[in-house]
Amino acid sequence: MPIKMKSMFGLSLLLIGGCSQLHHVHVSDIDQSRGRLTPFTVKVNELGFDAAQTVQIGADVAKSASTSEDLEFIAFILAISNFGPTTGNPVYNDNYAEQILVEVVKACPSRKITGLTSIREATNIGPVSGEVVRINGYCIN
Amino acid sequence: MLNKTTLFSLLALSLSGCVGLNTVSMTQVPAERENKISTSSSSWNFIGINFSNQFVDVAIDKLKEQCPSGKIEGVYTKHQTTGYLLVFKREVIVSAYCNEV
Repeated sequence: MPIKMKSMFGLSLLLIGGCSQLHHVHVSDIDQSRGRLTPFTVKVNELGFDAAQTVQIGADVAKSASTSEDLEFIAFILAISNFGPTTGNPVYNDNYAEQILVEVVKACPSRKITGLTSIREATNIGPVSGEVVRINGYCIN
Repeated sequence: MLNKTTLFSLLALSLSGCVGLNTVSMTQVPAERENKISTSSSSWNFIGINFSNQFVDVAIDKLKEQCPSGKIEGVYTKHQTTGYLLVFKREVIVSAYCNEV
């Protein structure tokens, strides 16, 4: 396959790869006996970045064979240095989910909260992703 | 004959899915456990490409409908993915107890 066709195929895969991933769901108790429920959603997200995949794309589109080989080696080093169990892409801020409690309390001024659903999800566009923590719940009015 | 065998094997392979258990969670189980309710919702995709996770919210709405004026307690949530040939089914299965107050 000529290099341009290969690049175009790779790019089109990258574009259609803007997809949602669901990592974790936890549904908690829902109390519908104490009044009308008003739904709310709170979300925090952080940029995830797969360095190894980015360098691999660079290796695929590199014009010279030696550059491509060098980049493939770097991609390999990056891949093995991030090897292990992960949930989503690596992020560079490990505190991004900590604000979520404050946001939940803000979203429900009555302070009576029920039916919290915790969702860990991601939206991927090639090597970049939005690593999302979403909380759905209900305020008891 | 070999072709037929290969085709049959491929068909059997595509019909029998492999299940992967993603997550399981459970909340506190109530003493009253007479009225059990359960629901599930799912989303199909091709080679893992999804554009939304809204099917999770559908499961919760369906659960709420089954206990409109009570407490839903002891919620057991299972998130699993079944893989067929190039096609995947993501599923959330929820069961709980509905206790009227």
